[in-house]
Amino acid sequence: MTGVPLNIDWQQILLHLFNFTILFGALYILLYKPVRDFMAKRTAYYADMDTRAEDALKAAEESRASYDEKVRGFDEEVRAERSKLNKEIAESRDRQMAAAKADAEKIVSNARTEAEREKEEIIASAQKEITDMVTGAMEKLTLEQSASDAFDQFLDAAEKEK
Amino acid sequence: MTKQERRKTALIFAVIAAVFMIGAILTGGGAGEEESIQQVMRDAVLHDLNKVSLFGLIDVNPGLMAGFIVSGILIVFALICRIFVIPKFKMVPGKFQLVLETAVGLFDNMSKGNSKIHGFLGAYIFAAGAYIFTGTLFELFGVQAVTTGGVSISLPAPLSDINGAIMMGCLSYLVIMSGGIAGNGIKGIGKTLKEYSLPISLSFRLFGALLSGALVTELVYYYPKLSYVLPVLVGVLFTLLHALIQAYVLTMLTSLFYGQVSDNTPKPLKEKKRRKGRKAEAESAAAGEAAAA
Repeated sequence: MTGVPLNIDWQQILLHLFNFTILFGALYILLYKPVRDFMAKRTAYYADMDTRAEDALKAAEESRASYDEKVRGFDEEVRAERSKLNKEIAESRDRQMAAAKADAEKIVSNARTEAEREKEEIIASAQKEITDMVTGAMEKLTLEQSASDAFDQFLDAAEKEK
Repeated sequence: MTKQERRKTALIFAVIAAVFMIGAILTGGGAGEEESIQQVMRDAVLHDLNKVSLFGLIDVNPGLMAGFIVSGILIVFALICRIFVIPKFKMVPGKFQLVLETAVGLFDNMSKGNSKIHGFLGAYIFAAGAYIFTGTLFELFGVQAVTTGGVSISLPAPLSDINGAIMMGCLSYLVIMSGGIAGNGIKGIGKTLKEYSLPISLSFRLFGALLSGALVTELVYYYPKLSYVLPVLVGVLFTLLHALIQAYVLTMLTSLFYGQVSDNTPKPLKEKKRRKGRKAEAESAAAGEAAAA
């Protein structure tokens, strides 16, 4: 290889190239690619975990918002229910009052009727007793004084009074 | 550890070092007797003296042999990782897993950060970075080989061989060109060819950096008297440092140029052109109004 500066040898350059090519291939297959793949896998794993955590956080926030909404709705519902119940209670009270009033009126009316009836019965009974008493007394009086004229006079007087 | 104990340990350490130094001085000059420093340094640059036989087929530079060994080490390491470590990877990584992931992630992100269309760029710069880093550190271990002349030498960094550096520079250039083609089609080749100095600059940057390291190390190790304390700096720290720097520089440059030539977004118009465009629009509008009138 005379004439080539620094003893440059093309054959040895190619041998160096051959050597490095083998080294490049081996390092790529045995070390570089598996390590890089593992790192990519780990990055993907943590990215996935991060995404899942974000999703979970989002879901939790949505759930909280929905809960808050429900709580607000529930308050509304309670208010509406309470108002409805109050209304129903008022209606029921009114109904009961009306029924009680009606019952009371009926009872009072019945009592009046009964009292009238009893009053009439008592009066009738009293009249009868008075009549019987007076009749008895007159009979006694008639029997004691004499006669049936007096008795007839009394009967006539009684008839007149009637 | 108390102050007295520390002093005692330091003293023992100094005595051991002194014994080694005296032993080295007494046992003579060593490697310096067989080759002069001029020959050693010339051979480090030109590789014309010491050749190593490649399985008895051809005689090659020691750097190529070092390249094969480094590749072998890396492939065995990758194989062990693939069989025993990677299947046991966990979502929360341990120390070793973290090292592997950081290394792969560094080059993967470098490729993604510099180019929209990155294809196999990440894998290439990962392999190139691993090869340059390990290859540069390899010279620290002083793996011995016997030359065709029967001399024992320690194998240098694969890329301190000019052929290895040219291979790496040209291959990086081809990878950059492939990015140009992927991003801009035929136009991408033109864009890459505009950077015609790249293969030379990439090759010789690597070669220069690693050769200078090798030369300094050769120089230091040539003289036994310099082989104490100083190698800790020039041999270990500098080697570690330039292993990191060279691996980073080549991979960064490759990914940057790859991104540049594969970029297919239209360039924004220059101010002058924009002004011209606005003027033309205004003129055409005026002409339209005049015609309508």
